[in-house]
Amino acid sequence: MEAVDAVTAEVVRNALSMAAQEGGIVVVKASHSTFIQEGADSSAAVLDARARLVAQSTATTLMHAASLRESLRALLVEIPLDTMHPGDVFAQNDPFKGGIHANDVAVLRPVFAGDGSGPHYFAGTIIHVADLGGGYAGGVAATAQDMFAEGMNLPPVHLYRAGEPEAVVWKIIENNSRTPEKVIGDIRALVSGANVIARRVGELVERYGIVGLAEHVEGYLTYTESRMREELRRFPAGTYHGGFTIDSDGIEADKTHDVRVTVTLPGDGSIHLDFTGTDAQAKGAINASYSQALSGVLFAVRCFLDPSIPMNEGCYTPLGVTFPRGSLVNPHPPAACGGRIVVVTAAMEAIVEALSAARPDMALASSGIVHLYAMSGVRTGATSPWLVMAMDFGGLGARATCDGPDATGAFVLGGRTAVLQVEPYEAQYPVMIEHTRPRIDSGGPGEQRGGLGIDTAIRLVDAAELVVRGDRMVLPPPGRAGGESGGAGFWRIERAGGHVDELAHRQSHVRLGAGDVFHIGTSGGGGLGDPFARDPEAVARDVRERRVSRTAARDAYGVVLDYEGVVDSPATVQLRGAR
Amino acid sequence: MKVTVGVDVGGTFTDVVLVDSAGAIHASKVVTTPGDPREGVRRGVEVALAAAGLAGGVVERFVHGTTLATNVLLERAGARTAFVTTQGFGDLLRLGRAMRVGEARYDLLFAPSVPPVDDAMTFEVRERCTATGAVHAALEPDHIDEVVAGIVACKPEAVAICFLHAYANPAHEHAFADACRVAMPGVFVVSSADTWPEMREYERATTALACAYVGPVMASYLEGLQVMLRDIGVVCPVQIMDSSGGVLSAALAARRPVATIESGGAAGVMAAGFVGRLLGERDVLSFDMGGTTAKTAVVRGGEPTLTFDFRVGGHASTGDRRDDGLVVKTPVVDLAEIGAGGGSLAWVDRGGALQVGPRSAGAVPGPACYGRGGTQPTVTDANLVLGYLRAGELSDGVVLSTELAAAAIDEHVAGPLGLATVDAARAMHDIVNNNMVAAIRMVTIQRGIDPRDFVLVGFGGAGPIHLVRLAEAFGIARVVVPWAAGVASALGLVAADPSVIEIHAHLVAADSADPERLTEIFDGLAARAVVSLDAGAAHITMQRVIEARYPGQVHQLAVEVPAGVLTRADIDAAVARFHARYLETYGIDMRAPVQFVTYRLRAVVPVDKPEPLRDRPAPYGPSPVGTRDVFFVENGQHRPVSQYRWENLRPGASIAHPAIIEGAATSIVVPPGWAVMLDTMRNVLISPLPACTPDSDRR
Repeated sequence: MEAVDAVTAEVVRNALSMAAQEGGIVVVKASHSTFIQEGADSSAAVLDARARLVAQSTATTLMHAASLRESLRALLVEIPLDTMHPGDVFAQNDPFKGGIHANDVAVLRPVFAGDGSGPHYFAGTIIHVADLGGGYAGGVAATAQDMFAEGMNLPPVHLYRAGEPEAVVWKIIENNSRTPEKVIGDIRALVSGANVIARRVGELVERYGIVGLAEHVEGYLTYTESRMREELRRFPAGTYHGGFTIDSDGIEADKTHDVRVTVTLPGDGSIHLDFTGTDAQAKGAINASYSQALSGVLFAVRCFLDPSIPMNEGCYTPLGVTFPRGSLVNPHPPAACGGRIVVVTAAMEAIVEALSAARPDMALASSGIVHLYAMSGVRTGATSPWLVMAMDFGGLGARATCDGPDATGAFVLGGRTAVLQVEPYEAQYPVMIEHTRPRIDSGGPGEQRGGLGIDTAIRLVDAAELVVRGDRMVLPPPGRAGGESGGAGFWRIERAGGHVDELAHRQSHVRLGAGDVFHIGTSGGGGLGDPFARDPEAVARDVRERRVSRTAARDAYGVVLDYEGVVDSPATVQLRGAR
Repeated sequence: MKVTVGVDVGGTFTDVVLVDSAGAIHASKVVTTPGDPREGVRRGVEVALAAAGLAGGVVERFVHGTTLATNVLLERAGARTAFVTTQGFGDLLRLGRAMRVGEARYDLLFAPSVPPVDDAMTFEVRERCTATGAVHAALEPDHIDEVVAGIVACKPEAVAICFLHAYANPAHEHAFADACRVAMPGVFVVSSADTWPEMREYERATTALACAYVGPVMASYLEGLQVMLRDIGVVCPVQIMDSSGGVLSAALAARRPVATIESGGAAGVMAAGFVGRLLGERDVLSFDMGGTTAKTAVVRGGEPTLTFDFRVGGHASTGDRRDDGLVVKTPVVDLAEIGAGGGSLAWVDRGGALQVGPRSAGAVPGPACYGRGGTQPTVTDANLVLGYLRAGELSDGVVLSTELAAAAIDEHVAGPLGLATVDAARAMHDIVNNNMVAAIRMVTIQRGIDPRDFVLVGFGGAGPIHLVRLAEAFGIARVVVPWAAGVASALGLVAADPSVIEIHAHLVAADSADPERLTEIFDGLAARAVVSLDAGAAHITMQRVIEARYPGQVHQLAVEVPAGVLTRADIDAAVARFHARYLETYGIDMRAPVQFVTYRLRAVVPVDKPEPLRDRPAPYGPSPVGTRDVFFVENGQHRPVSQYRWENLRPGASIAHPAIIEGAATSIVVPPGWAVMLDTMRNVLISPLPACTPDSDRR
């Protein structure tokens, strides 16, 4: 009765995914920060007792799921399985023990069988929690130079011991936050989510038995691995190189940082990614802890494979990685890691470059990056402070077969858009948004055009303090295969008096006065292929839709338009021929 | 008792139900005419009238369920629409807010969804209000004229206006809309504040846009329908089923077309609720499975659960998120819809796993067994091989061939997996059941609802084949297939009341909320509802609800407030209910201060419901019309199973398991271990054997 097994297997796979899904929804709905509620920085997963990823929620941030897997490995080293009891719940955030940075707190709960044996599985949830101390309110520690400035460090600790709260741990967390109620509320939300997942997985253990469920899990992981390997075998065997240069770590202003990768595809369904040659860890907070570098690697590789492959340990198995110790992608403590998106996306870009060489039919040019900022202040006449963390996205690089979409989170955070809307933003904070619009000509010219960056202008109604974190402001996202770079990003303040301040990539404690206008400009994606080979009609449409100016149509694409915006074909042929 | 007609236009069939003055139900099922669906409506109504031996003139109520709004949006077949917004935000639709979830995250070749408005038809206006509704920059008359002149030059058929914070102060939108109406008589002008006055400009703008885009098409469709019906003697006004299970006048449906976006789905849920009421059950689980999708929803206390966020053209919902499609804010019956229907295709993926759906063979080419060119195996093919469907003529000239079904399954499923045909068919059947179990989970267990507390009501062409296995999966003990299950959605139409939902936004801390102001808001909503319903002096019932949240959170929960003049005590009680509901939903006792965000009023004009004929039940054991070989997992192989014709069975019939009951447009599969009774209305009641009681037709 093989068919029956196939059906039960499908049932179990769905049930495991739904367990993670359900837990993830509980965390998001019960959390206290707008940032999480809008869908960013959160994940939920089922793992097994060997710290293998079994299933994760589909609405998850990939970067965070990888952290749950690595955090569990660290937890098992410090608190061995045989010392755990039913009703235990653990929390941790140490970037050098699987974590990301202080504010990303992971909660793990072991799952025991009804006969008391176990733990057999773990339920995991993680979100960016409210303030957890350190030198920067809310955790956007843009100019931190070590982990201590980023907030309180939690090694793997008990939140609950056999169902009883570990009061002293809760107290320590509470006492280390500028917003104690919020952070406690967020951690409770994490526990609620983990409890839901643990209950569901417990039900599956009861229903299918310890051995029965383990067989299904094994089958699921093996299935996933075989699909990964089959896809990887479609790549021409060989060794490919890629690299990406980061503008700045925000501390050493004129120093760039390189991430380098050598990708080897032996042709047997495995892939090896060696980051030897990558620069040493930075002073500033751009370093990617091990789990984060790994998440970037997996995401970038998966973007070249069939998207319908499930996400579990079977995706990791065919991957070999070398992350040199002390480098940007595997720093020593106490490196600051909060702004790891910069290095993670650089690692992804390096891999994309290498894989684009292996598979030009799937090539992708470099993409714009997310600009993240936090503003805080105390309203005139109020006592308690306000704090907002928000972001704007850059444009995606051009794809081999189509243009890059404008201002999208597709390439960061595992594909999530979490841009605040104007109305709730203005309703909650003393700001007035003047405009949000794509930046004309910021998409890198190419036969396929890069996606546009965005320009948002925020007028302050009250004084505030600003922290910014960005990149691709000096070195814009490069094009590929003859395509040109996208537009560089910026941070800019138009002072009420008329003076304009250009901000650096990463700056903290920037003072804003009432009437100042804060401009966020994100970078555009690079182009792919020769822009002079672009269909003139596509250029005319871009001009009509205000993505490309008439000047750029002529200068960058060699396309001449008449007064009505219609392509002047003879003039275009002549101009293109004269190059 | 009046003669009432319900017409539900689906993707494949147009279903008509006519309830005559004696309560007898007459049904017809004709092929949908996609070019102009009104042709099918007319034919179906003519057939039903003829069956009842009635003339069109006796029809006093005509309720229509239509997928027109969804089709217009999906096919981009709407009006030429201009979009007008506050200066600085002309790109707000284009930039979008797409969430990328699930598999889509790894797909870098994705195409962002494009709103149905041309960039050259987007206009920015110098004006600005703040979140409190204060005017920050006035809207100057000269500027209005200038922008309107530009719009006129584009020759639009509709205009959608969405200014920032118009939910707090609609004056600018209204002034601009008035100017448009004066300058362009006959052009359909929509103000976002009138359509969905809630904070969040993106959703308000897409909703206003969808409304403007669909409105003119809906108006001319309904106008033409009324004329066409008059030709066959039906002169009563046409009413339209909306997405929340209420019924709108044709005029209101044309003004608020987005309200009909899930018209067909709502009709099915209302049918389940109606059947529940007839059986004296207030908590029912609705399960509707047709050719391409299965829809399931919960009806509690006689009312469907509503949600206010709908995406047109998005993927099936996962948990409570959809990742793409055009956002439309409108009250919609909270249903889970998945790509699992009779036409769902089965295939073996590259990793050797069997998959079923969401892709469907559709009406063309249809399942392999139809012999109309389909070669890929579908759920219908599996059901035929298993004996759940009868080989031979189905309806409308479609003939089912077991050989063609088996050949398709062998080639695409059994062969690649190394299974026998019957095992492959069984795997397909079980997998699609499993997917539907997941859908039922979404609307029950994931919302903290125990499905075992519900009566499972199943219908649609394919529903009654799978229904009992779904009940087994959850341990549901009471299963009902309503009489006329094949056209049940149309039955839901005739059982629905005219109703509207009106909303108002006003952010205030509950502690400092002024009861007098809240009373005023609800009175204003009531006045609007009376106008919308155009019900004259008819009795109207009203329900008031406040959407509340904890400050800093974005997820809101609705709490009821009483009618009449509100007092401080009413507000305190609402706050207490909010705390309790939050604890129930999220398991956390917050006890923080509460904010009121929006105010909602649902107004209903109760109408007489059709009373189906009830015959006195006379317990008896009917004789089968024959047997056929059917596979049940309990038997491990095909064995002869008794077949019955539903139309031959009389109230009180009780049938031994296992059995197959053939209806006009569907087939009820009763596996071993379940017993069947026909109630007074000839509904098929199915329950697990030991629990089967002869008096299950209780009221």
